[in-house]
Amino acid sequence: MNRIDRVFVETRSAGRAALIPFVTAGDPDIGTTADLIPELVEAGADIIEIGVPHSDPIAEGPTIQAASFRSLEQKTDLDQILEICRSARQLMDAPLILMGYLNNVLARGEERFARDCAEAGVDGLIVADAPYEEAPELQSACEAHGVHRILLVAPTSTPERVVQIAARSRGFVYCVSSTGVTGARRELPRDLSLLVGRIQRVTSTPVCVGFGISTPEQAATVARLADGVIVGSALVSRIGEAGSPGEAMTAAREFVGGLAEAVRATRR
Amino acid sequence: MHVKICGLTSVADARMAIEAGADAIGLNFVEGTPRALDPECAREISRAAAGRVLRVGVFRDATRERVAELVESVALDAVQLHGEESPEYVADLPYPVIKVLAGDATLPARAARYPKVDLLIDHPSGGGSGQSWNYELARELVSRGRRVWLAGGLSPENVGPAVRAARPHGVDASSSLESEPGRKSAQRVRAFIEAARAASDSRDRPDARGYFGDYGGRFVPETLVPAVEELSETYDALCEDPSFWDSLREERRTYAGRPTPLYFAERVSEDLGCRVYLKREELAHTGAHKINNAIGQALIARRMGKRRIIAETGAGQHGVATATACARYGLECEVYMGAEDMRRQALNVFRMELLGARVHAVESGSRTLKDAMSEALRDWATNVRTTYYLIGSTAGPDPYPRLVRDLQAVIGEEVREQILAAEGRLPDILIACIGGGSNALGLFHPFYDEPQVQMVGVEAAGEGLTLGRHSAPLAAGSPGVLHGSRSYVMQDDAGQIFPAHSIAAGLDYPGVGPEHAFYKDSGRAEYVYATDAEALDAFVYLARMEGIIPAFESAHAIAELRKRAARAPGSLIVLNLSGRGDKDVAEARDLLGKKT
Repeated sequence: MNRIDRVFVETRSAGRAALIPFVTAGDPDIGTTADLIPELVEAGADIIEIGVPHSDPIAEGPTIQAASFRSLEQKTDLDQILEICRSARQLMDAPLILMGYLNNVLARGEERFARDCAEAGVDGLIVADAPYEEAPELQSACEAHGVHRILLVAPTSTPERVVQIAARSRGFVYCVSSTGVTGARRELPRDLSLLVGRIQRVTSTPVCVGFGISTPEQAATVARLADGVIVGSALVSRIGEAGSPGEAMTAAREFVGGLAEAVRATRR
Repeated sequence: MHVKICGLTSVADARMAIEAGADAIGLNFVEGTPRALDPECAREISRAAAGRVLRVGVFRDATRERVAELVESVALDAVQLHGEESPEYVADLPYPVIKVLAGDATLPARAARYPKVDLLIDHPSGGGSGQSWNYELARELVSRGRRVWLAGGLSPENVGPAVRAARPHGVDASSSLESEPGRKSAQRVRAFIEAARAASDSRDRPDARGYFGDYGGRFVPETLVPAVEELSETYDALCEDPSFWDSLREERRTYAGRPTPLYFAERVSEDLGCRVYLKREELAHTGAHKINNAIGQALIARRMGKRRIIAETGAGQHGVATATACARYGLECEVYMGAEDMRRQALNVFRMELLGARVHAVESGSRTLKDAMSEALRDWATNVRTTYYLIGSTAGPDPYPRLVRDLQAVIGEEVREQILAAEGRLPDILIACIGGGSNALGLFHPFYDEPQVQMVGVEAAGEGLTLGRHSAPLAAGSPGVLHGSRSYVMQDDAGQIFPAHSIAAGLDYPGVGPEHAFYKDSGRAEYVYATDAEALDAFVYLARMEGIIPAFESAHAIAELRKRAARAPGSLIVLNLSGRGDKDVAEARDLLGKKT
């Protein structure tokens, strides 16, 4: 059983949602990311999403764009990222998901990318600019190597597309809370429960919500609706604003700890 | 054109159909029929086909429970219903549905009872007889906007006429493709797919998924997929709407200054020993070919009820054209422009503002066209419900590459008429510069089917290809995905995109339109390059020889003209003078000042 599926079996039987923090690999440097992963799990994260930096991240808001560019200035590459996943896998069971852009996958080749992910203990893959119709080779490579390809549903997705995406997404369906790019939003859209409901009606696959969740209160609101809460930019900005890698660790741990408390206190 | 191969009974046959290029496969769950599958076998076939083709489950008067169970356990993408299923039953199914109806006189009435779903029109006698039938009934539904699949007795031999008569969304065949009952013949499946595709018009590129061969597609975040689909459907409908093209023609004539002249460049011709004609796009309103695209798309936006227009711009020519069209039609306009380009093209920034547009400086990445396009895509994803993204070149996700090409094809269509009038024959060589590639495709595309006409695209080699400071993905890049489509891009081994460089801000882009990638691989067009220095020389050359100051972009084409003429003396050459050089005069003064 894929580790992602195992997490949702556990959280569902515990009657709670999973917390999924996102960090950009190599921001501020790859060593800090390596140290952060087990720390975040320790602080209460259930699954870790790791951003693979891309030169042209068209789905990212300013926060994650800036983190990606900082990381690329450090010359972060995929081999380093896979290496820290491999080390994390020695220490812990929490699922690891890579999130990135298709051109970095194509550069390695879909088959090799999926195989390398599987070998490094990566459990899932999110490709922001590849809707389900595109990159069919990636889907079959992921299936062959037991890496879950997680697909996104957006508020603009038509009912037909929601059906198609929900049927193909593995591990969970990533529900994009509102139109736009990643980044903190002051409030969550009021019709979020309708969107989540549209997905839940057509699939039993877990639904996790991301984009714009930045406070423990928002995390708790989402935890009542969905199987998982994804927090990216709010965490990445705390890491980016820290004065040193040590401060970044402390800030990230505290922030994720607060989110975990809010999510775990919420019953579904 | 979609091709569905139905009645598959083995993984081997499914793989073969996929290899042959099928878009969909049918798995039969009608109990008691010869090709009915048991769920285990269906699951195996489904796994082999996952993500590669649409997997359609075929049912006849099955209970909802049975349909639901099989959709879930086999992982079907759609269901096809062959029985007497009621409209309520069909409307309630939470899956994409293809309803089968017989192609007899009652078809229009019955089709109306099943709105919204795909219709598969079967032979009136139940199909399989190998006889064709009156496809006019199907054509009628297609013209009313229904998505129609044609089936019933289709074979490699008769699918061509059927497709031409009915123009369906897809075709479907089963028993006619078998070598023995329950086994498909690879040869017949291939022949069927080939014949169906050939009949859907050879110039009908890209295909239904937006691909020119291996290039194109729709690589955008999910938030934008429905917007791209909506635009695609709107544009497809407009293609069939003469009133749209009539109004566009009138706007071109009275507002944009078309047709632009085809000018015989006498002194250049004499100097180079060829007959050289310049297509004077720089005389179009706003001083470049960009207006052709901007007014066309602004009219489309207006038809879609979108009041807010966004655009990216490099040299500022597309930004100016868009701001102009928005002023003309009373639309709100916001333009994204790299901060570095704003410095180089300060005059165009002012022109856009004068026309009422807001110009946003893009400070991320290399602060040029590439980053402006990323930022425009982000704005679009944020404001997608109210906003029309007016892309300036034959790049981006489908339908933009074909839409922009079609709007620019007026260039080549005029050239064709003008050169025939002037010379009584078609040109030997066409030359155009290439950034995203829209002025080149506008010139080339109407000559695609004339193999004697050579096409030469000129990329910007910047400071030279060896230094990596250039904008020549076709010459020095490799296939990859950038800004919504697969094409040639400038990238490192890890798939990170390189910043481009060119003296010409409008060519300063690390990608290129997917149709050019297709032309390159097929050899239909030749792609060369000119450096900054060669372009600057050519800029001065044309000014002195003909009294025309070209844009830095177009100067790259002039540089190639000078090289090419020496190798092909006496040729009849048409060069697209895509823009005028006023915007570059200040930069040229600095550069030429440095040189002396």
